[in-house]
Order: sequence, then structure tokens, then C-alpha cells
Amino acid sequence: MIRFEPRVESDALWTAASFAMAIAAGLAASAILLASTGADVLQVFSALLQGAVGSPKAVATTLVKATPIILTGLATVIAFRAQLWSIGQEGQVFAGAMGGYLGAQVLAGLPPLLFFPGVLAFGMAAGIALGWLAAVLKNRFGVNEIISTVMLNYLVVYLLSWLLQGGPWGESGGTISYHQSPMLPNEAFLPGMFGSSRLHAGVLLPFLAAAICALVMSRTPLGYEIRGLGYNPEALRHKGVNINRTVTIIMLASGALAALAGAIELFGVAHRLRADNLIGLGYAGIIVGMIGGLRPLGTVFAGLFFGGLASGAVYMRVLGDVPAALVPAMQGITLFFFLCAGVVARYRIVRVAVQ
Amino acid sequence: MSTALRVEGLTKRFAGVTANDNVDFDLRPGEIHCLFGENGAGKSTLSSCIFGFYRPDKGQIFVRDKPVHIASPIDAIRHGIGMVHQHFVLVPEFTVLENIIVGTQRSGWRLNAQQARQKLKAICDGYGIDIDLDAYVWELPVGRQQWVEILKALYLDAEILILDEPTAVLTPGESRILFDIIRKMCARGLSIILITHKLVEVMQSDRVTVLRKGKVVATLNTPETSPDELARLMVGREVSFTVTKPDLQPGETVVAVDGLTARGHWGEAVLKDVSFSVARHEILGIAGVAGNGQKELFEVLCGVRKPEAGTIRLKGEDVAGLTPRCLMDRGVGHIPDDRFREGLVPEFSVAENLVLGWQRSPKYCNGPLIDSKAIAELSREMIAEYQIATRDEKVAAGKLSGGNAQKIIIAREFLHASGLMLANQPTRGLDVGVIEYVQAQLLKKRAEGFAIVLASEELSDLFNLADRIAVMFKGEIMGIVDPKTTTISEVGVMMAGRREGVAAPKERTLA
Repeated sequence: MIRFEPRVESDALWTAASFAMAIAAGLAASAILLASTGADVLQVFSALLQGAVGSPKAVATTLVKATPIILTGLATVIAFRAQLWSIGQEGQVFAGAMGGYLGAQVLAGLPPLLFFPGVLAFGMAAGIALGWLAAVLKNRFGVNEIISTVMLNYLVVYLLSWLLQGGPWGESGGTISYHQSPMLPNEAFLPGMFGSSRLHAGVLLPFLAAAICALVMSRTPLGYEIRGLGYNPEALRHKGVNINRTVTIIMLASGALAALAGAIELFGVAHRLRADNLIGLGYAGIIVGMIGGLRPLGTVFAGLFFGGLASGAVYMRVLGDVPAALVPAMQGITLFFFLCAGVVARYRIVRVAVQ
Repeated sequence: MSTALRVEGLTKRFAGVTANDNVDFDLRPGEIHCLFGENGAGKSTLSSCIFGFYRPDKGQIFVRDKPVHIASPIDAIRHGIGMVHQHFVLVPEFTVLENIIVGTQRSGWRLNAQQARQKLKAICDGYGIDIDLDAYVWELPVGRQQWVEILKALYLDAEILILDEPTAVLTPGESRILFDIIRKMCARGLSIILITHKLVEVMQSDRVTVLRKGKVVATLNTPETSPDELARLMVGREVSFTVTKPDLQPGETVVAVDGLTARGHWGEAVLKDVSFSVARHEILGIAGVAGNGQKELFEVLCGVRKPEAGTIRLKGEDVAGLTPRCLMDRGVGHIPDDRFREGLVPEFSVAENLVLGWQRSPKYCNGPLIDSKAIAELSREMIAEYQIATRDEKVAAGKLSGGNAQKIIIAREFLHASGLMLANQPTRGLDVGVIEYVQAQLLKKRAEGFAIVLASEELSDLFNLADRIAVMFKGEIMGIVDPKTTTISEVGVMMAGRREGVAAPKERTLA
């Protein structure tokens, strides 16, 4: 007979094996889903692979797609590790793009070395403001951060909607409103790298941010307090840690990271303020952060994996002839199996002799 | 001779650790058989094997002399074995009746409340258990909640009852009532396995099996043994129960509390006009039944609860209402009573816990980064000095036994504090050996010049250690007495709300 027993200590090999099994199971379940639509599964998967890593151009697309979700993933990691269930990344992405756009108006004409850090800072400031609002609501009035951040998401999304349609930032061609801002001037485009216009310099930032997050979380007193807050806030309070201050710092940092994603999308990809390329980046970050085991390095890998899925989705749709909606479905399936793997990793299988 | 339950040659290993090594144990019908041993001696493992939580690697269990195979708690219940856990498994929002029915129903989906109520009424009447079946569990004091657990087992027709450290959460009064019930159950033919590490309770049993490091050291008839012998068997060496407290002249006043008043969560007065002072080289004991304001007093003194009125003069400065941080920086140490909730982060390593609250101290930082090397070095010193039983400093504190977890807190607090130590129930739930150690540490720090406020529900602790004892009742101090000229029963009367009769040196309480 076979039984599951909780593990006394975690085993790196077993943990790795469970996550490998999760990937395999996720792919298998996706294959069943694909087959049910009548698609040629092998062809779809090879298209997916080709679109994700099949060429330098595909890799560039993967990196570009991974960039915002790694950042929103890191925003999730910081908050969730402290058991602060901020769902505000979505709104903060929008705020980051809007702040960046405002920055671009204010700072227009500055040399690039000042302009880009400046506009990204504008974007992050908008995310910080949202994070600060949620922190104040929580600390001062005891408002649950899940509620406040979800509500703020609506607020921000509709604010953008108003700004673009009928508001001051919309682009109107005659009588039609396009729900987008006019194009940014060329000098406001994040410069490309390796001779590619697609691979903008912003793709370096998530890796830098992840490295900083990893360092802060594991090696600094602040990281110690964030982790401690997640495990046992009562002990921290008794030992003189200012919980409200720590909560505020976490919300600000999380807001800044998510907003950076939105600003990079604006200056690196869309080059104009519009909603459709921002939708879902914040929520995807929550999934990415969770799959990454709420660790910065894991989040980078999970983000790249999801970036690959997103990049391969285009090929999949074209070459494999399957509906695009299958990609988010596959992401969901993967998340499900990864969450299972997280549980399985904490158990071990034992064989019990029947007496 | 027939047995209610017998275990032969039971062995259970966990990842290389042998928790039970070839254990033989037998339970006679109608007896209280005590499983006695230190934390980690294998008492809980043995009972978990009997109740079907774990499967033994080797060995056989017999119920009423028939070999049985117990694969799960359901099997155990079928064989008439019931277990009451140390931590209750109750739904606070349900009534007593609902809690008992839910999870004990054997088949069907309809709750047969009427029948259950009758059966429970009969059980309660039989054992003299006075409980309102329609009361919500959250309304009940802890002692009554335990009765619900016992009722659950009896409702399932248990004939063998395992009680896992049943008095760990009870007041002395509640414990007495519990033992009355236990004796009634035995008189009616139930057999009871009592797991404990308190000598007072062992002495009330019929027989006792002492476990040490997973092995049975001895099985004795309780009336034929003595607490000293049992303690020696349990620890494996002589244990001194009476600590020698040298006479020390109290130095200058470290902390003077005057007219301290505080309110609880619902605005009720939890501290009323509390005044006392503690000097260098002095231990002030706080006696009182749990829930009479001791916890709130410590919370105010360490800064996590704001007082409504009154002053706390620490070396002359009024520190009432300051944050825990400010007080820690002024040398106040605090050993909280709920060690895994308030004193430690269980997921953190021993090393991380040893600097909890001081993680920003320049001593442990190297620029903006935490100096893990310095902390690891310090931790190894502390582990050696305080004899913390752990593989190394990287083990999570939550994996350590209660006694070793407490040593981490004591080590940390005495390392960083200077002047005043607040110790709330520092020996609660610990083994004899560790209690001895904690007491010795407190006396050592007293000799070094600390002023110590020590609350304990064990009066013997206070009489052993304290220079003066303040007795609390409903948030007030009934009086401050000298343990040398007062008896335990006099303090007991004050704990029940009688004011101090004898005139104590009143001027010492005002400083």
C-alpha cells in the first residue's frame, strides 16, 4: 500500500521532481484541451516552441513579453511574502503608464539619459501613490488591502478610459475617438538593443529588479522584517518592529515595481497610451509570482515561461490554427499544476507493508 | 491478567530518528496509566500509534487481548479508543451539541440531534459534567472546551481514553475538576492513558510508565514511587527541586509603577490602579489565576498595550505608553507567555530568532546588509551557553521543543536587555530539567543586578524564586507579601480575591 506522509524536511531533488511533473502534467492537460478543439497537437506545440525560442526574433519577443509580468510578479512577491494580499498590480500598471505619459509631456526635450529615468520615475511615482493610498487605508482605517486595491484598480482603469475618450489625452480623428493617445515622438521610444527595434532596453530592468529584490529579501533587515511579517506579525510587534511602517514600505515598493511594468510597456512597446496592451499584466503577475514560489529568482523563470507562452501564442494561432483564447487557458492549467506541485513537494510517498 | 490495551515491541522511526524503540506498554481495565517523560521522549508518538495517526514500523497492538490493526483514527474509534488532544479541534461558532455531532456521525447525512442530545444528557449526568449543550463553544472557558472534547470521545463509546497533556491549558481549579471527572470515569470501567510531564499529575495515577529517548525506562505502581525517583528516571540524573536563592541586598529601584490602569479590547478595565516597584537584585513575583490581568500588565510594561493612566518610571524616566522599540532600547527584556506566537517566528532559524528585534542593530549589520556570519557565530555561542538542543543554528525554531524554544527567547532577551526583565510564565509547559535550568538562569541574572518581574501560575516557582510576591485578582493587586513570612495557602486566599490581611511593608511598594 502507498501512503503520503508530510515531510519533516524539504528535499531539493523531490521538489524539483514535483515541479517537473507539474510541467509535464500541464502540457499533457493542455494537449487534451488542444486535441478537443480538433487541432494537431504536435504541430501546435512545435509552433509554440518555435514562437517562443525558435529564432532570435522569437527570443526577443519572449523577453519583451516577459518583462512586464516579471515586474508585476516581483510586486506580488514582495507583498505576498509579508502576507499582504495586494491585488493592486493591475491598476498600478495602468497608473505607471499614465504617470509615464504625463512625464513624457513634462520632460519632453531632455537628453535621453535624463529623459528615460525621469519618465520611468514619473510612472513609478504614480504606482507608489496608489500603494500609499492602500497602505494608509489599511493602517489608519483597517481597510482590508484586497478590497482597497481591487477598488483602486477599477478607479484607475476607468480614469484612463476617461482620459483617452473625451478627456485631454485622447486622439481624435475628426468625429471618431480611438481610445488611445497620439503616438509619442520617436525620441521617446526606449532604444532597441542588438540592432533590433523590438528588443528595447527596458527588458534589462526586470532582471536588475529581481536581483535587487532577492538581495533585499534575503540579506537586509527590511527583508527580514518582510518575511517575519508574513510568518508571525505578533512576534514582530512584540519585538519592536513598526508594523505600519513596514506595511507602508512594502506597498510603496510593490506599487513602484508594478508601475514600472506599465511605464516600460508605454515607452518600449506601445509607444502610445492605450489600455488594451496593459490589460491583465497585473493579474498575470500574481500568477507568475505564485508559480515562482514567491521568490524573485523563481519569478524570473516563471515570467520567462509565461513570456514564451505569450510569444509562442502568435505562432500557435497562425501555424496551428487554434483560437487565441487557449493560451490563457493553458496558463491557468499550468498554474493549477504548479500549485499542486507546491503541495506535493511537502509530502513524501511511503510504501507501507499491509499487516 | 487481562488488559484493556497492550502494546508489544512497538518501534517507530522518523527520518532516522527512533521515536519509539521496542516499547512495551499495557493498560489494565479501569486504571489511570500515566505516560511520563520529557518533551520528545516519545509519549506523543506512542499515543499517536495507538490512535492510528502513525503506523508503527514494528510491533503489535492488542485491544482486550485481541491483536488489532489500527490504520487510522476511525479504526481506533471502532475499537473503543478515544483521544483528547492538547489543542482542541472545535468549531467556536458551533454549539457544544453541534460540535459533538459534527464529525462523529457514522453514517447518513441527517444530523440526528434529538437522539444525540439524550445520549449526551445521560453521559453528563453519569459523570457529573455540568455543561450547557446549547452554549456556543466560543463562550466557554478553556476548561469547559476540554470537556466537550472528552464528551466527544465518550459519545463515541470510548472505553480507552488517551488524554494528551490535558492540564497544559487549565487553571489549577479546572485541573482539579478534570481529575475528579477522570476518577469517576475509571470507577465506571474506563481505562485512561494520561500523557503528562507534570509530577503532581503523575502522582494521581495508578501506574506510570517512564519514557526516555523513545525507550521505556520503567513501569511502576505509582503509590510505590516518589516524585524524586520519577524525576530522576525521566531526566536520567538527579534533579534539584529546591533552588538555592542567595540573600542579596536589593539595590536602587529600577522600575516603579504607580496607579497603572488599562482597558481591554471591549473597554473593560483589565488593570486597576496597579502600583509596585522592583529594585536591582530583586525578583518580584506576580501570583494569580490566569486571566486576572497578568498578561495585560506585561503587555503594558513591554509597550504593546497602551495604559490609560498611571506612570511607569524606569530608572527615573516615565516610560508609560512608549513603544516596544523605545523600551527595548532602554534595556527592557520581555519573555512572553505565548512563546511561539509572541516570542518567536517559528519559521525563522534559531540564528534569526536570536536577533529578532535587533536585526537593525549595527552589531548584526555590515553596512546595509545583515551580517549573517556574525549572527551565526553569536548563535553558536548562545546555543552552547544556554544548552539549546538543536542540530545547528540554521534549524527552524518551530521544529524545536517548547523548552528549547524558550531557551532561545531567554538567551536573546538576556543578551540584549540590561536592567529590567519581564518574564511571564517562563516555565509553563516545560520539563522538569528545563524548569530547573530556567530558574537557575533567572537567579543568575538577579545576582548580576537585573530587576525581574516574574509571573507564574505555579506558586512553588514564585516561592522558590521571588523576593516579594504581588497577588493579582481581577486586575488589582491584592497585596504584596514576603514569601518568607507567608504560606502558599495565604497567597491562595488572596488569589481568590481576599485583600492582604497582614500588614506588608507598604513603603516598599511606593518607592
